[in-house]
Amino acid sequence: MAPTKKISLTEEDLVRALKGKETIAIQALYDMYSGALLGVISRIIQQPEVAEDLLQETFIKIWNSADSYDSTKGRLFTWMINLARNLSIDKIRSKDFRNSNKNQDIENNVDFIDSQRKITFNADTLGLRDMVTALKPEFNDVLNMVYFKGYTHVEAAEELNLPLGTVKTRIRMAIMELRKHFN
Amino acid sequence: MEEAKAYIETGILELYVLGQLTVIEQQEVEEMAAEYPIIREEITAIEIAMEKYAVFHAITPTSGLEKKIFEKIIPSNINHSTENSPKIVPLHSDHSASTIRTLRFALVACAGLLILSFVALYAMNDKLGLANEQIVSLTNDKEKFASNATYMKDANKDLQEIAAITDDPTWTVVKLGGTTIAPKAKLRVFWHKSGQHVMVDNTRMSLPENDSKHQYQLWAIVKGKPVDLGVFDADTQPAKLLLAMKEVGDAQAFAVTLEKRGGSATPTMEKMIVQGAVSI
Repeated sequence: MAPTKKISLTEEDLVRALKGKETIAIQALYDMYSGALLGVISRIIQQPEVAEDLLQETFIKIWNSADSYDSTKGRLFTWMINLARNLSIDKIRSKDFRNSNKNQDIENNVDFIDSQRKITFNADTLGLRDMVTALKPEFNDVLNMVYFKGYTHVEAAEELNLPLGTVKTRIRMAIMELRKHFN
Repeated sequence: MEEAKAYIETGILELYVLGQLTVIEQQEVEEMAAEYPIIREEITAIEIAMEKYAVFHAITPTSGLEKKIFEKIIPSNINHSTENSPKIVPLHSDHSASTIRTLRFALVACAGLLILSFVALYAMNDKLGLANEQIVSLTNDKEKFASNATYMKDANKDLQEIAAITDDPTWTVVKLGGTTIAPKAKLRVFWHKSGQHVMVDNTRMSLPENDSKHQYQLWAIVKGKPVDLGVFDADTQPAKLLLAMKEVGDAQAFAVTLEKRGGSATPTMEKMIVQGAVSI
């Protein structure tokens, strides 16, 4: 998938370079995480052009607010993906965006996007697709709503008509399953 | 240790990684993570799993996007360290381009106005010349009229005086008739004997026109001797209708001779044009 040389840095070096405003940091971040970030953005925002605009916004925000990232609170990617998700949710809830997308069903975003677009399989995770899709749907659906669709876990509970505690449990179970597969 | 495990079981760490917690809840988790390394490790494990999950669902951006993003980020980075932003240049050149366009229009307008001004100036100069010519000719006319008016006023005064003289018995009108060398010549002289005034009446003068070298001279014959009374010209258009001559109190006759210009001491008898005796 990558004929050109990709930059990959350790988390520590990456954070140091980013905070030092070294342009290599943004290049490394793009090479390492642009696809993963766009994967999340694209499942919240269906239009590819808008999603890519948001990815651009996300990288600019990552670059400009690097000082506010605190490595003691979590990994860099977690911070980045939460930035991307929040920008996407802000966008989808903005008036002008809602007006132009009234009739679209947010429910089937993941399936829709996956059927419309070519999914890049990371070499490390290649072959895991079957395992992931084999996750218990009732657990996985809640996680996907929160992780990929921009729902809060409270909104997900309301949508699925489930107690908040059940939603929390299902998210935890789904992630436990993921950890079993990935770790 | 039991507390940490129970905390992990609540599922709050998953929500923390998913960005689902309030700021206060986040701080609580961070304090717990700082206190219990097992919670820190648990958080990292959740993060790595979600990271891999995200990478698994990655979508490759279109190929141009990377460049677009770097162009937006890297110039803004350069801005911090170096002063010149290339973005400002087109803005400036746009401004100057429009300024140049405006100035060009202004220049053309100025040139047009200048040409117009010259045309107007030329036309005005022409008119001014014409006006000046008219003023000169009008001034000439005015002078002519003025002198004409003066002449006429004088003439009128002279005519009135002539009328008064002919009506006044104290004035004697002496008619001088032509001699053999000028039979058609005649002249009328008014003489006020007591006042000694002598006037030549130009209105009734009929003498051959004299040239520039000669003048007529009036003589009074006093006791047989000619007395000079002055010279005059015989013009077809005389300047004065009534010419005052030298005074004489006693005269029996008047005569006019043609003399050299300025007059002679004694009359040239063979050039006597008119003469006439005073009739009482």
